[in-house]
Amino acid sequence: MAIASKSGNYRKVKNSLAKWVITLGGISVLFTLVLIFMYLLYVIKPIFESAKVEAHAQFAITEPQKVLSTGVDELQEVAYSITQQGTINFYQLVDSSRYKAGAKIHSQQLVADGEKLVQLVNVGQEQKLLLDSAGNVQLIAPNFTSNFDSGERVIIPSVRYPLGEAFLPVEENNVALKKLSFAMDDEKAIFVGFTQDNRLIKTSFIAEDDFSYDTEFEAEYEEIDYSAKYVDDILVTPDLAMVFIREADQVAVYSLDEESELKATIIPQLAQNKSSPNHITSMALLSGGSSILLGDDNGQVSQWFEVASKEGREFKNIRQFKVSDKEPITAIYTEQFRKSFYTETPSGEMGMFYTTSEADLWRGQLHQGNARAFAIAPRADGLVIFSEQELSIFSVENEHPEVTWQALWQEVWYEGYPEPEFIWQSTSGSDDFEAKFSLVPISFGTIKAAMYAMMFAVPIALTAAIYTAYFMTPGLRRKVKPTIELMEALPTVILGFLAGLWLAPIIEIYLPAIFLLLIFIPTSVFITAFAWHKLPRAYKTLIPETWAPIILIPAILLAGISAFALSPVLELYAFGGDIRQFITNDLDISFDQRNALVVGIAMGFAVIPTIFSMAEDAIFSVPKHLTSGSLALGATQWQTLVKVVLLTASPGIFSAVMMGLGRAVGETMIVLMATGNTPILDWSIFQGMRTLAANIAVEMPESEVGSSHYRILFLAAFVLFVFTFVFNTLAEFIRQRLREKYSSL
Amino acid sequence: MISVTPKNLSEHNVKLDLNNLSPEQVALEIRNLDLYYGNKQALQNISMSIPKGQVTAFIGPSGCGKSTLLRCINRMNDLVDTCKIEGQINLHGENIYDRHTDVAALRRKVGMVFQRPNPFPKSIYENVVYGLRITGENNRRVLDEAVENALRSAALWNEVKDRLHESALGLSGGQQQRLVIARAIAIKPEVLLLDEPTSALDPISTLTIEELINDLKKQFTVVIVTHNMQQAARVSDQTAFMYMGDLIEYSDTNTLFTTPLKKKTEDYITGRYG
Repeated sequence: MAIASKSGNYRKVKNSLAKWVITLGGISVLFTLVLIFMYLLYVIKPIFESAKVEAHAQFAITEPQKVLSTGVDELQEVAYSITQQGTINFYQLVDSSRYKAGAKIHSQQLVADGEKLVQLVNVGQEQKLLLDSAGNVQLIAPNFTSNFDSGERVIIPSVRYPLGEAFLPVEENNVALKKLSFAMDDEKAIFVGFTQDNRLIKTSFIAEDDFSYDTEFEAEYEEIDYSAKYVDDILVTPDLAMVFIREADQVAVYSLDEESELKATIIPQLAQNKSSPNHITSMALLSGGSSILLGDDNGQVSQWFEVASKEGREFKNIRQFKVSDKEPITAIYTEQFRKSFYTETPSGEMGMFYTTSEADLWRGQLHQGNARAFAIAPRADGLVIFSEQELSIFSVENEHPEVTWQALWQEVWYEGYPEPEFIWQSTSGSDDFEAKFSLVPISFGTIKAAMYAMMFAVPIALTAAIYTAYFMTPGLRRKVKPTIELMEALPTVILGFLAGLWLAPIIEIYLPAIFLLLIFIPTSVFITAFAWHKLPRAYKTLIPETWAPIILIPAILLAGISAFALSPVLELYAFGGDIRQFITNDLDISFDQRNALVVGIAMGFAVIPTIFSMAEDAIFSVPKHLTSGSLALGATQWQTLVKVVLLTASPGIFSAVMMGLGRAVGETMIVLMATGNTPILDWSIFQGMRTLAANIAVEMPESEVGSSHYRILFLAAFVLFVFTFVFNTLAEFIRQRLREKYSSL
Repeated sequence: MISVTPKNLSEHNVKLDLNNLSPEQVALEIRNLDLYYGNKQALQNISMSIPKGQVTAFIGPSGCGKSTLLRCINRMNDLVDTCKIEGQINLHGENIYDRHTDVAALRRKVGMVFQRPNPFPKSIYENVVYGLRITGENNRRVLDEAVENALRSAALWNEVKDRLHESALGLSGGQQQRLVIARAIAIKPEVLLLDEPTSALDPISTLTIEELINDLKKQFTVVIVTHNMQQAARVSDQTAFMYMGDLIEYSDTNTLFTTPLKKKTEDYITGRYG
């Protein structure tokens, strides 16, 4: 009795232990899946968040003179102002042992006493060009060095002079300038100015060696043919290629090469109405210097860049941003490294926009319309505003302005492109490159690769499944099925490697053979079947009926050999000796060696076992009494197959195809190795593609953690996840329904 | 001896002499039939004549070969790879095992209903017209008529006439079996083979089917395999008792159940084995 009760307890414990362990296992699988899903969303989420601007610090600082320009160091610890009298003042922004926040820590006079600055040109975010009333200029760069002497980081501000400390004359004859613009690189500095006597001049300082370590130069003076009484804005592009000169509502574009000729004139179509005509009120160069932004008094900003068209290159209005309903745009400030810009209206309303993604990132009031100087922090993570009595620092959270739903999935008009396009190009060798993140080409590539793979795999896998399940003898089936299923265990990297390095060149050389095979193999099968049908019975009995299909093997081999043998002949007579050239030149289709055909075959090969195995199970599990029922009604084997077996197995076959599709969509190594990985939108069988999976594999190692690129790759992973999830769920859903529907059979 | 009183014996005013049937009275003639599964012989030298327009039952213990013999009549054994058949089965004086025989055409003349109801996963209507459709009959009116006739003959019409286009899998087991019978008779076979048609059904459905068999013999020659001796006694005119692949005794049902000639038959019907 005691023993029985003991063993009963033991069994109970074992039973409940097993129950809990199994439950734990099941739940952790689900939990892991949800966790992966959540992590993907967590990484993706920031790219769809809008920008945030928050007041960070405010200091009551009364500058006796008008502030022309301001700026801040990279860490936002020291800000500076440059006044009209030519004084630069540095202010501490954070408390330190030496200074309190808001204290003036350094001041320096940049021009001679009594002299005044006429204009200050911001050159990038770090350099300022000072223009005095005599038409002389001095380039300064506020400089911040860190010092750790006292055991604490101390920022020591100073001023550097990249072109030397002396004021340099811009106009040959020392005529004063009304307006000036300037840009430089290591070898050349170009000034374009409008003089007091209404001439447009171009002055070039050509370095004897390199400006970065030697300020010696030779000056060249030119005059640009331009007649006007005044100009509103002059902007020289940072690459020294063009200058934009705005006079009221029109912008003249001059190239800055030897001739300095007029390239184009931009006359925006402003919404004119007689009572209140619109005028351009501001102009700015977008980062990279290819686009200009024009703000008008109707509260609208338009972006223009040069586009190749039938009539040659011309400036086109690409897109507009509606900033305000009634207020004019008094100023446009652009970021140095990104295509973001800020707008300002007289009431102090500010807006933050991103051109390429057409994102309206943020709007708000940062001052009461009394700002005198505005600057964007070097890392674009802060703003500095000097108003009459205040220095205000704002923090900006705007990590991913270039990503919007629209930019990811719709055509985007990138700078330099003739029209809006879907482009994926995440990196380039050039510094002022703008990353192009359209998920359309890579999603398309995924679908294209999967479709070609399915076109190859589905007919083969399904006919094989039908034959194995329905016609093959049980003995042979027991050998064939595991053999084909074993193919699934073949590492796809080997398939990809073989496809890319061995199959692709063969297909390229014997391309006509591939198309001949499409005709020869089915024909040879039909001829063999017909011949077998007509063969006298005496010969037929030589081979057991179940082994009869063996005679197809030599027939197919023969078809294959003759296709490859005929290939050069066909190429010579039908395609002028070189089918590649024929396709490229005569048919005008571009041809990649690693193309959709190669991927279709290689990936098709990888999905065949998946489809075969499931479809075979579905067909084989059609109850025998159904087939007998059909046969007993006088149906032939073929009729029974088509009308009963395939019908009954159809949901299973569909789910097999869906599982195959899911596998093809998620497959990475084959598409990675057997295509050129070119993210193009083209159904052509002779062109490659780039798939979501391959794209992630290729680019993830080179993307900076936390960057837009990194997060978009996660988004691509998410899209891929959704793709395979949809296909597999559909397959599973249908299989469940099948189980229910035929459970009574 | 258990008391078996065939209820339809009174209807049998004409007793056939099974050994001397005139050619018009014969539906099927089985002559010296041997059947082997691989090396194992499953039927041994079976010879019998099955009369037209009557119900003939095959009884015997499990594994005696009664189903195998039934399946020989429409060559369903062809589907078994290892099966080898010697001897003849004559239908209209022609051997169905002749090599020129069109098996599909034979099966249209000799229909078969299986042990388990096996409707196709299609609508009731499509199940019934299946045999017609595979011969290329697509005329709507012909099909409609055939469906009604077949379902009426199978005593199913009143139950399903309002849901002909619903799935056949929604019917009860007994209804499914009658549907399968309707499907078999829709192509108007001469002979209808029933392989234990009620073994998967409840008693009430069994009764319905048995009544149906009684009606069917007006139109068709019926051959039924059954485990159930009472059923054989109730529905059949002739009964053949088989044992271990041999045909032991074949006579009219009344005689076989009341005055069996062979000891084995008597032992079986009295329940000493089986």
